Amino acid sequence: MIQEGPKYSESNWGSDPILQGLDLSRAFGDGATVTRAVDQVSLEVHRGQFVLMMGPSGSGKSTLLAILSGLLTPDEGRVVCMGEDIWSLNDKEREQFRLDHCGFIFQGYNLFPALTARQQLEIVARWGQGATAAEARDLADSMLQNLRMLDRAHLRPAQLSGGEKQRVAIGRALIKAPDLLFADEPTSALDWSHGEEVVKLLRSLSKDYGTTVVCVTHDHRLVPFADRMIDLEDGRLKRQSYGFHGACDNLASPLHEPGEIQPIMPTKPTLRYRATS
Amino acid sequence: MSYALTTLWHERQRYLTAILAVSFCALLGCVQFGLLLGLFAITSMPVDNSRADIWLGAPRVMGVDLGRPIRESQALARLARHPDIERVEVFLQGFSYWARKDGGQELCMVVGSRLEPDAMGRNTALDKRPELVERLTEPGTVVIDESDKEKLGVQNEGDIAEVVGAKVRVVGFVTGARGLAAPFIFCSVTTARPLLRCYPNQITYALGKVRKGVEPDDVVARLRKEYPATPKPSTNASTGSSLLSSGAVEMMVNEDLDELSIFTSAEFSRRTRMHWLTKTKGGFALGYAAVLGLMVGAVVTSQTLYSATASSIREYAVLKAMGIPRWRTSLHVMTLAGWVGVIGILIAIPAIYGLSEVAAIWGVQMRLETWLLVTVAVVTLLMAVGAGLFALRSLRGVEPALLLR
Repeated sequence: MIQEGPKYSESNWGSDPILQGLDLSRAFGDGATVTRAVDQVSLEVHRGQFVLMMGPSGSGKSTLLAILSGLLTPDEGRVVCMGEDIWSLNDKEREQFRLDHCGFIFQGYNLFPALTARQQLEIVARWGQGATAAEARDLADSMLQNLRMLDRAHLRPAQLSGGEKQRVAIGRALIKAPDLLFADEPTSALDWSHGEEVVKLLRSLSKDYGTTVVCVTHDHRLVPFADRMIDLEDGRLKRQSYGFHGACDNLASPLHEPGEIQPIMPTKPTLRYRATS
Repeated sequence: MSYALTTLWHERQRYLTAILAVSFCALLGCVQFGLLLGLFAITSMPVDNSRADIWLGAPRVMGVDLGRPIRESQALARLARHPDIERVEVFLQGFSYWARKDGGQELCMVVGSRLEPDAMGRNTALDKRPELVERLTEPGTVVIDESDKEKLGVQNEGDIAEVVGAKVRVVGFVTGARGLAAPFIFCSVTTARPLLRCYPNQITYALGKVRKGVEPDDVVARLRKEYPATPKPSTNASTGSSLLSSGAVEMMVNEDLDELSIFTSAEFSRRTRMHWLTKTKGGFALGYAAVLGLMVGAVVTSQTLYSATASSIREYAVLKAMGIPRWRTSLHVMTLAGWVGVIGILIAIPAIYGLSEVAAIWGVQMRLETWLLVTVAVVTLLMAVGAGLFALRSLRGVEPALLLR
């Protein structure tokens, strides 16, 4: 079932890549202590793909994710995302690019302890996109409804389970309808039942809405859900594999009732608010 | 509720220190300056406890206790000529020396006024004791404050003392009229003249009462326009005292009458207090202490906000990763700082009034004037916002890449 993929440039998706990394390198440290976290890596990601980046600890997968998502400057190479060479943009332009196109999910949830689940989502809509209080609330409630979290909207992180917290974090990343979603170990702090729930959510996101999901993980249980797997070792691209997505299509989503045919994200939030900067 | 307020409420234990620091700053500022104003309000007490609307005194007089002799007839005439002034009256006040029975001398403040029930200059401290007013009509009689008895060496009613060589008899005591540097000696105009070594045609102030419906400010403005003061050097302008030799008095009386100072009661009261506040440097001393309090408050507030922000650095980093501009998260921190300031001030207000009541029980006056409360509130709020600005340095460390392991 596993197919060896080409180094890059070829895919089974047919369209232009939404994200390209070209000869990316990044080192940390000086002199004798220098470590090449990412070494001459090139890859392409197509719209709507659910891509897993895997590898052992220290293989450079998180560093590569940071470079691809515009968070960490590469020492060498270029990242072309949606036609923009994002590392040729200045800081402000890159920040605006991330605001317009990118969502992030991290391992540690990183939710403000004082704010309710609803408010965690609202602040992104209000601060990022200049939504009014009413607009932000509607959007947050709609997103929480999609995540089956509306009845938990008034609760603070301390009152939520790990899976619920991660779902809020996902909602926070999705509320601005990003084209790309970058996730770093989104399931590592969760037991498998919650982890599976999260990964199915990410999977349905790419399948139903064409959101490109790039997910760093070392959890092989996620492999059957991915369209593609990028394997890194010692900062180098070891192999790319395709064709896993079919493996999970027959799996019943835990977020759906049996027989329910609605997508997980029935109403993708597309409201573009006025720019704030 | 705003996100900042929600955060403050949920993490109140964390922010309590900063809020209390702000409250302390506001409290310290108000109490210190309130006490100072209360203290110096004693100096303007003859004005505040009068019924006069207008005060006419010597040229460039700095305060009611620093008046110099002026010609009675001309001063009264100037006021009486004005159609909106319905009544005029003489008033004498000045420093003198009280000779104690034990031979010591004490600086005192002689206050001579008319004593009729409708007299403008009669101190309201005498209102509750009409029998004392009656006794004061006898020349050579005086009334002092109960709390100044020991200072003046007086034990009982009827005690005899000397003021600059003139014998006076204490005919009673009042309360709530304690002097600041010198005890007040209340008496009639007739009694006051020799105690202040004034000639019969000399007074310290002419008082005026305006007609009903007329604003004293308008009358004063018109009189100032009519008799404009032309600045000219005066050797005794700001240091004048009634303790002058007859020659000096004559010289002062010969000053150009056009130069006479005219004030509304409110103006003269404020002028007197501000003179003491600024000239004695007392205001600066307490102001210095208040600034130190503000600095301590600023440091505590800033550090609390800094540590609170630093503890949420990963959350801010997520927002930054998602492209939320730094100014927006900075604004959130500043809003937090602003609310810390507002809540701190709101907590301080009842505490300030409570302390004021406690001080009043001990006979200490704390003057909590609106301008003082507003000024302290604004300064404290600015301090809190400044502390917030300082705390923003914690956001410099927000680096989204740190979130990727």
